[in-house]
Amino acid sequence: MAEKKSGLTPLGKAVVVIFILACIGGAGYFFRDTIFPKAGAKGGVDLDKFKQEQGVEAKDPTGITTVSTYTYVPSQKLPAVKGTSAYKWDATAKTVKFPINVWIGWLPIVAANHGFAPNTDSVFYKKYGFKVDLKLIDDPVTARDAYASGESHVLWGTLDMMVLFAPELMKDSRTAPRIFQQIDWSNGGDGIVVRSSIASVKDLKGKTVVYAQNSPSQYFINNLLLNAGIQPSEVKHKYTSTAFEAAAAFVADAKIDACVSWAPDIYNIPEKVKGTRILTTTTDANKLIADVWALRADFAKDHPEVVEGLVAGIFEGMKGLKDETFKGQAFQWMAEGYGMTVDDVKSMANDAHSTNFAENKDFFLNANSPSNFERTWKNVTFVYKELGLIDTPARFDEVMDFSVLQALEKKGTFADSKNEYVTQFEPSSYQKVNAEKPILTQTIRINFYPNSSNIFEPQHDELGNAQKSTLYDPNVDATLEKVARLAGQYDRAVIAIVGHADSSMKGKIQEDPVVKLSLERANSVKDALVKKYQFDPNKFQVTGKGWAEPADATQPDNQALNRRVEISIYPPESK
Amino acid sequence: MGGHGTSGGPKVLQGSAVRIRRRIPRGEKIVLGIVPIVAILALWTLFTTGTVEERVISSTILPSPMEVVGAVGSLWFQAELSRSIVASFSRVLLGFAVAFLIAFPLGIAMGAWSRVRALFEPLSVFGSYLPIPALVPLTMSMFGIGEMQKIMFLGLAFLIYLLPLIVKAVDEVDDVYLQTAYTMGATQWQTVRHVLFSVAAPQIVQAMRMGFGIGWTYIILAEMVAADRGLGQIIIIAQRRGPREHIYLVLLVIVLIAYLTDRLWVYLARNLFPYREAK
Repeated sequence: MAEKKSGLTPLGKAVVVIFILACIGGAGYFFRDTIFPKAGAKGGVDLDKFKQEQGVEAKDPTGITTVSTYTYVPSQKLPAVKGTSAYKWDATAKTVKFPINVWIGWLPIVAANHGFAPNTDSVFYKKYGFKVDLKLIDDPVTARDAYASGESHVLWGTLDMMVLFAPELMKDSRTAPRIFQQIDWSNGGDGIVVRSSIASVKDLKGKTVVYAQNSPSQYFINNLLLNAGIQPSEVKHKYTSTAFEAAAAFVADAKIDACVSWAPDIYNIPEKVKGTRILTTTTDANKLIADVWALRADFAKDHPEVVEGLVAGIFEGMKGLKDETFKGQAFQWMAEGYGMTVDDVKSMANDAHSTNFAENKDFFLNANSPSNFERTWKNVTFVYKELGLIDTPARFDEVMDFSVLQALEKKGTFADSKNEYVTQFEPSSYQKVNAEKPILTQTIRINFYPNSSNIFEPQHDELGNAQKSTLYDPNVDATLEKVARLAGQYDRAVIAIVGHADSSMKGKIQEDPVVKLSLERANSVKDALVKKYQFDPNKFQVTGKGWAEPADATQPDNQALNRRVEISIYPPESK
Repeated sequence: MGGHGTSGGPKVLQGSAVRIRRRIPRGEKIVLGIVPIVAILALWTLFTTGTVEERVISSTILPSPMEVVGAVGSLWFQAELSRSIVASFSRVLLGFAVAFLIAFPLGIAMGAWSRVRALFEPLSVFGSYLPIPALVPLTMSMFGIGEMQKIMFLGLAFLIYLLPLIVKAVDEVDDVYLQTAYTMGATQWQTVRHVLFSVAAPQIVQAMRMGFGIGWTYIILAEMVAADRGLGQIIIIAQRRGPREHIYLVLLVIVLIAYLTDRLWVYLARNLFPYREAK
């Protein structure tokens, strides 16, 4: 090597480059979790967390039978409005900007307003001295941005959408949403369509579902999965931006096992696509998806008389719609506003149930109702927290304002209003109900005291004396709450409660008393639900199976698993 | 020729008319480039200072610059920024590749043969007028809701943009080169390969450079359907459930990506065509 170059030979250069690359690669690999982090594992849910989402009152071992009404004053819990109001308002024109989406639930306000445009014939103007400008804004993000910027005063949405919107909107106390009124329950408008191989929610494990993200569809399906004991991570989720696209994707791609969508698609698909069927709709889960509207907090503070006028006017719209001629006129107005044909609007008529004054009272004020505002809000929050969609959720009483309902009740404006959304159940039997496959089966565990069927059994000391104010199963209230919420959401469905006992005494004693004990245990769950949440007793069909059906066929002697109660939801047709 | 002469020497360049296209020092160029950015930042800060309720623009619409910076951590770790960049970048890249594979041969053929041009030019013109978002559902029914659909949707957007530019690049090849090639007895194929393509190549690369940004403007639409992650997906989610900060951060990230990829194109052009300094 005669040459004495100070530089490296090509080989040397290559070695250096490789060395440097290896160092970078090694460092990259070492720090891979920082460079390419994955958000905290979604799913892996402790399903018993339902239990931590406590009910509305302190533990009450005796249960309660009366309607319990909230006694607090909403304004004390609602976040105070700071600063100067930031919405657009013309004090002489007095026009509330009220965006709505394409949804039959808005028929009462369209009726009350005599159409979409602000006008002097509307109930709002004649009775309350302001005008309402209904604007079609179908895209929730656009509606939200119009609301946040003060262009509109109202935000339309379902309660589950509000749970997602609220934390961000509450960063500014002026745009914090105030919810005064429920417009409707989705009543057949939302549904889940599956391939025929899916018999029950349980079968969705490992399958692919498609739905619109951040929409009621997401709440609907994930609430079902969690209630059936399936972790969200055990299902493949495919997201679309609209429910329409979800239905289209399901039809186009046979690898997708289920879709969550809206009417009319959910009814059209099973008719047109072979091998598909409806798993469940909000006809069964008729108290799951609540449509509401929210007002900007600054507007609500500045114009309490407008708020009351809006709420009362909408109730009057609902009353007016009982007249068929007027209803026909309202369909006409709605068709004009949406740019649809009257027939298309009429075909949506069964998608929702408008909630009148009495039903609103039940939703906002009845603390015992299993599907009231508080429980719906908490249930949505639970589902979305488990999906990792929200970090710091808003509390229900930071958005719910029942002061207007209370004021209207005092005035007696709607004293004649009756709850018309009550399902009548015929007496039936477990055998009859069980003839069909359930939509969903939920397994709950209540620790019964040996040989006792009392779910509120107190603890006992060594001598067998009952200890006052104790509970053998301290979680029993929370477990009941979980069942009550599901039963409340599926208000129209029939529910089977099946008691099981363990097989520890198998061979030592007769089977009959064990079957009897398991039946008594199922009955005591039913009784507790009926007593505390005022369910119709005929909603529940009860049976006891003794030790006949172990929880897990592969480990029949796992007695802790075997001592259980199973809750199955059956579509209402099967009763 | 007028009194100023054609030499272009700085000494003779006087009077307002000749200031047009005058070169400015590099330093000045950089400073001038920064001025509007600083102005925007200043306005942004001005509109978003004070407690939330005192601001000109509510934080539910536009968070302050500091709030946006403060969300970097959650963007990186919770929203998985790095993985999203990789996901979006590969979609854009693949979509671009698909479009180029079609636009390149087709564009050259359209530039070379009038019959091919007559066949495709109307489509190309109509295409450039189309609001492509309306085609999202169509790409879904054709390509499903997987990665293929996103790539093909972006590919479509790229194709519509790239094709006319490539045709134009070929058009701009001077007839003199063609005449020379014919005189020297070149075949049709040789003329296309060695004259049309070779002469147009720098312009084609320039077209690719300009077109590469188009994919990013459609990223939200591309990732609207069934995207596990992606920059567009982060924006879609933040629009619904916040934090608002992520929207603006992702926009900044896309600007950064745009800058870096553009540098890369310039570098590529310089090395491929050193004889023709890319501007």
